[in-house]
Amino acid sequence: MAESKKMLRVEISRFDPDRDEVPKTQEYEIPVQDDWKVLDAINYIKDEVDPSISHRWSCRMAVCGSCGMMLNGEPKLTCKTPLSDYDETIKIEPLANFPIVRDLVVDMDGFMDKFRKVKPWIVRAKARAEDMEDLNEKGTFSQSPDQLATFKQFSMCINCLLCYAACPVIANEPEFIGPAAIALGHRYNLDSRDEGQAERNSIFRGEGTVFSCSFANECSEVCPKNVDPAAAVNQAKLAAVVDWAKGLVLPREGA
Amino acid sequence: MKHLLLKLEPIIWLLFGAGLSVGTMLLTGFVLVVGLAIPMGLVPSDALDYERAHALASNGFGRLVLLGLIALPLWKGAHHVRSLSVDFNGGDRDGAVGVLVYTAAALCSLIAIVAVVRL
Amino acid sequence: MTRAAHPEAMAPPKKGPTRTAPPRMPGSWWGAPRIRTYLLFGATGVVYFLAGTVVLHLVWALGKGPDAWATVMASLSHPLYLVFHALTLISVLFVGIRAFGTMMPKMQPRGGPLPVLAPGLVRGLIYSAWAALTLVFSLILAGKIGS
Repeated sequence: MAESKKMLRVEISRFDPDRDEVPKTQEYEIPVQDDWKVLDAINYIKDEVDPSISHRWSCRMAVCGSCGMMLNGEPKLTCKTPLSDYDETIKIEPLANFPIVRDLVVDMDGFMDKFRKVKPWIVRAKARAEDMEDLNEKGTFSQSPDQLATFKQFSMCINCLLCYAACPVIANEPEFIGPAAIALGHRYNLDSRDEGQAERNSIFRGEGTVFSCSFANECSEVCPKNVDPAAAVNQAKLAAVVDWAKGLVLPREGA
Repeated sequence: MKHLLLKLEPIIWLLFGAGLSVGTMLLTGFVLVVGLAIPMGLVPSDALDYERAHALASNGFGRLVLLGLIALPLWKGAHHVRSLSVDFNGGDRDGAVGVLVYTAAALCSLIAIVAVVRL
Repeated sequence: MTRAAHPEAMAPPKKGPTRTAPPRMPGSWWGAPRIRTYLLFGATGVVYFLAGTVVLHLVWALGKGPDAWATVMASLSHPLYLVFHALTLISVLFVGIRAFGTMMPKMQPRGGPLPVLAPGLVRGLIYSAWAALTLVFSLILAGKIGS
C-alpha cells in the first residue's frame, strides 16, 4: 500500500501562562494520512514535531468527551472529526467561552460548578427515604422501557462542553446555567424514580435561569451525541413555567 | 432590577411565547389584508369601511383578537430586542435594557386595553 | 475566534493555581450562516414591536370615529407603510417557519399526560392551523365572510 504524502498546514493556538499575555498562533506543516482524525494530527505534532503542546484526550471514540476543541471556529470532538473534512489548512483553538489554562486546554471548573447546581442525581423525598432501607430486598427502583425512553436521549451527554463553546448566551451572560447542565437537570426531572422536580424547577427559575436561553439552537447543532440540549432547555422552560403557575394556585408542600 | 426581572421571567416568557405563536398567526392575515391588499387596491377598501370595521371589532371576541394583535407582538418584540442586546452588548448586565423594553411593552399593552374597551 | 467573550464567562468558582487567558467567543459571529439566521430571527423583534404599535394606532383611530378611521386607512397606502408591511409579512413568515417548523416540535412536554408526537407531525399540524387561521382571518377582513 502506497503511503499518502499529503501535507497539511496546522495552525495551533498556543498559550503559556508563564510567558504570554494572550494566546498566539503557531503553524506546523505535517504529512497526514487519509484515514486520520484531527486528533491524530495533533498527536503526531506532539510526538514528532513539538512536544511542548498541551492538549487533552483519552478514549479516541467519542465517549470520554475530553478532546473538544475549536476547529476553524466550530466546536468539535477532534477524535470524531476526519481530517479529510479540511483541505490544506486547519486552525485548532481551545474551546471558546472558557478560560484558557494552556495551549488547547481550558478550565472546566466553571462548568462543574454549574453542573452541581442542577442536582444531577436522583432526589427522593425525605418521607420516602426509608425506601432506601429495603433497597436490598426490592433490588432497584423499577422503571419501564417507556419511562426510560422519556429521558434516555438527554442522558447520553458526555460533558464534552462543545455546547458551552457554541452558546451565544454563555459567551455574554456568565450566570446562565447553560445547555448541558440544564439538559441533565431536565433528564432527572423526567426520570420516573426522581422526586426533585420542584427543587430543580426553582433552581431553573433562579439565578442563571433557563429563561436566559434565546433558543439559538447552536448547542444542538454541535452536540456530538445528538442529545439536543436546546430541546431539553426549552422543555425545561415550559415545565418551569407550569410549575410556577401551579405554585401561584396551590400552596407549596413544606416549602 | 435584575432581581425583579428574574421574578417576572416566567410571565414574560409566557407572553413572549404567545406573541411568537398566536401573535404570528394573527399578524399574518392582518398584514396581508389590512397592511397590503387594501392599501394596494387588491381588495376594495369598503371591505373595512368604518361601519363594518367597527361592527367586527366592537364585540367581545373582536376586542380580544385586537388586544392579542397589539399586545402579543409587542411582548415578542420586547423579549427579542432584549436578547439581541445580550448578544451584541456583552450582556444586559444590570437589566436596564430589559426593564426599558418590558416597560414600553407594558405601557403600550395598557393603552391597547383602553383602546379596545372604548371601541 | 475574533472577539473576546465576557471576561467572567465560564469562570471557575475559585481561581486556579495558574494564570489563565480570558475566554474568546466562537469566531465569525455574523459571518456564520446559522448565527446570522439566529440574529435575524431576533431582529424580527423590532418589526413585531413596531407592528404592534401600528395596530394600536389603527384601533385607537377606530375608537375615535369614522373620520379618524378613514384618515388612518388612507395613510396606509403611503410607500413607507407599504414597505414596512411587506417587511412585516416577510418577518412573520420567517418567524412562523422557524418557530413552528423547528422550535415548537422540540418543545412537546414529556412524561406528562400528552403523547409525544413525531416532530414532522407536529410541524404539519401547526402549519395547517396557521394556514387555516390566516385564510379565515383574511377572508373576514376582506369582507368575503361575515357582513
